[in-house]
This record gives sequence, C-alpha cells and structure tokens, in this order.
Amino acid sequence: MSILQDIKNAVRSRSIHVSYVDVGSCNGCDIEVLACLAPRYDIEQYGIYVHNNPREADVLLVIGSVTPQWVDKLRDIWEKIPEPKVAVAIGNCPISGCVYARKGTLTTPPVENYIPIAASVPGCPPRPTEILSAILSVAPLIFKDYEEKQR
Amino acid sequence: MRSIVYYVREFLRPEWLRKFFLVKTAPLETPSYFKDYPSLTGKECTACFSCMMICPAPNAIAVLRRQDRWEPEIYRGHCIRCGLCVEACPEDVLASGRILDTTHRDRTAFSSWYHLEVDDTLCMRCGNCCVSCPVNRQVDPQLAGTGTSASDEVVMRVEGGRVRILHEEKCTGCKTCEINCPNRAIRVARMVEGVQEEAEA
Ligand code: SF4
Ligand code: SF4
Ligand code: SF4
Ligand code: SF4
Repeated sequence: MSILQDIKNAVRSRSIHVSYVDVGSCNGCDIEVLACLAPRYDIEQYGIYVHNNPREADVLLVIGSVTPQWVDKLRDIWEKIPEPKVAVAIGNCPISGCVYARKGTLTTPPVENYIPIAASVPGCPPRPTEILSAILSVAPLIFKDYEEKQR
Repeated sequence: MRSIVYYVREFLRPEWLRKFFLVKTAPLETPSYFKDYPSLTGKECTACFSCMMICPAPNAIAVLRRQDRWEPEIYRGHCIRCGLCVEACPEDVLASGRILDTTHRDRTAFSSWYHLEVDDTLCMRCGNCCVSCPVNRQVDPQLAGTGTSASDEVVMRVEGGRVRILHEEKCTGCKTCEINCPNRAIRVARMVEGVQEEAEA
C-alpha cells in the first residue's frame, strides 16, 4: 500500500491542477495569476496546470472580495472540486476586502466565511512568485499521504 | 505496436525525464529594490500620524503605543504596498525598496494642510462651527454664541449672515466643526501636495 501511496505522492507533487475564480476583484490579481502562465514564470514547469474546470482541479485560487451574488456560486464551485482539494486566497481582497472594505460597498469579505481557505497570499496584487511559492508549499501539505490520512 | 515502442522510447529519454521531474529555470528571487511591505528602520516615531492619514487602504497601518515609544504597524492582507507611508513619514521611520533613497536624492516630500469649505445652500448660519472650533476659542475667548467675532485672527466667523473662512491655515484638522454642524454644511478635507526642493546648483 505504501508503495502505491509513494507513487501517488510523487505524481501528485508534479501534477497540481489549478482552477481560479474571481468573486469580485479589480482584475489585478487575475492578471498576476495569468502572468504565472507566461514564459517568465512558467507555472507548468513546476507541474502546475491551470484550466478552469473545478471538476478537474485540486487547487482553487479565490480572487476578489466576494460580492453577495457570488456567495452561493462559490460554495457550488467548492463542492464540485473532487477530494483532496485546497483553496488558496489570492490577494488582499479575499482576506480583508482590501480597498473595498469600506462603508457602502457591496462586498462581503472575508472568503473564509464561505469556504475553508488553507493559505492566503497577501498583496495588492501579490507577485507571481508569491502565488507560485504558495501553491507549491501548500499543495504537498494537503495532498501528501492523503489516502493514508483518511484511514 | 510501433507507436507503443515509440512512446516508451520517448518517455525513457533521460532528457525528457529530467525535464519532466525537475524545474528548468532558477528560482525567481524578488529583487531587493522591489517595493515590499514597509519595514521599520529603527528611527524614532514622533506619532504625527502622517502615515496613517495618507494610507489609501483601510486598516493597513496603525501607529501604536508600545511600552515606551510609538511604532507604526503594517497589516498584511490590508496593505497594498503603495509606499505612500514611507514617503509621507518625516522621520524616515519606515522603509520599503528604494523609496527612501529616491526621496532623499530628489528631495521630495509631502506637504499637507486642511481645507475648509462651507456649502452656502446647506448652511443655516447657526454659528455652531465657529463656536465649537477649539482654535477659535483660543484666539478669541469672547466669540459670540452666534459665531460673530471682533477678531480677525479666528479660523472662521459668521460675517454678514454667512460663514466666512479667514485663516484656513490655522485649522488643526480636528473636525469638531464638522461634528457640530447640524446640516453637514462644513467639510474639512486634508489636502496633500507633493513638493520638491530646488536642487542645489
Ligand atoms: S504601503 Fe501604502 S497601503 Fe501599505 S501601509 Fe503604507 S500607505 Fe498604507
Ligand atoms: S511612522 Fe512616521 S509618519 Fe507615521 S506617525 Fe511615526 S513619525 Fe509620523
Ligand atoms: S477642523 Fe477643528 S480646527 Fe479646523 S476649523 Fe474645524 S473645529 Fe476648527
Ligand atoms: S455649523 Fe454648519 S450650518 Fe451652522 S454655521 Fe457652521 S456650517 Fe453653517
């Protein structure tokens, strides 16, 4: 069993599938996530693949300060991701609401109120390197020995 | 069959295995001159609160009283790393990237003052603002309950049936007038201007 688990660990560490959802940001963080795909940072060489289908994803990047219309849809998306899964908050918005955390704005941060967040990357926007290292450090923690931890 | 052999051969190439399992580019380091969360330089903070007043992000910075001194604290998850607090601090308490070097080299700074504005269509000439202003009270203790004053040195006074602002520059920005105005007619705004000293010839 443990050999099978080791193989799973090795494969999972090189095959992290990422999906991202913008629940009401200024798009700055979206652009930094996309910059991770560019040759300068080249997220795929770390074995991280971005494609926007929650059913295929392991990691959900949550961007934006959660507008009320997104609350139920964000939960739906989270439900659709197969186990093991992890959500990472990207930018200040999901953490605190950032510049939208004022009286009279139609946002309801933080995102932790709606889905479990394993890690957050502060910044407005965070640098691609910070996003990369967050995914790389949090994913193995959750995915390593997942089946053995279940028992 | 031939294609299976082909794929097995392809995937067993050391080159392919190395590229698949190892990262190709060197780890990307954040250069030291990048703006990051402001850090403390260890210089003494005088609690002027310029940093808090200029910060554009809600709850990003607070100047806190420690045991024996004041100290600004930056909150990650709120701070947007704009660096304005670094530029605004007159005592160089904060540092981030090479902002301090640039401001010293170019001799730039922020100057600020308070701008008072009375909306005459809302104002009902009650004089509350003139009476409640602590600066007015100090300059002219005889200031009348209607807001009229014999002194020309007050910040503002009721004059000829309307509020006239005489000495905006004396305003300390306390906003007492704003709080005491029943009609939200008087507004106090903190104005900030970037200034640059003449470079020495
Ligand atoms: S860097 Fe900008 S956002 Fe951060 S504390 Fe300073 S002024 Fe506020
Ligand atoms: S850190 Fe600088 S700007 Fe902020 S209160 Fe202290 S001296 Fe003033
Ligand atoms: S803000 Fe304070 S000092 Fe300035 S005019 Fe109003 S009451 Fe006077
Ligand atoms: S307190 Fe307000 S309404 Fe009264 S005089 Fe001043 S500005 Fe006008």
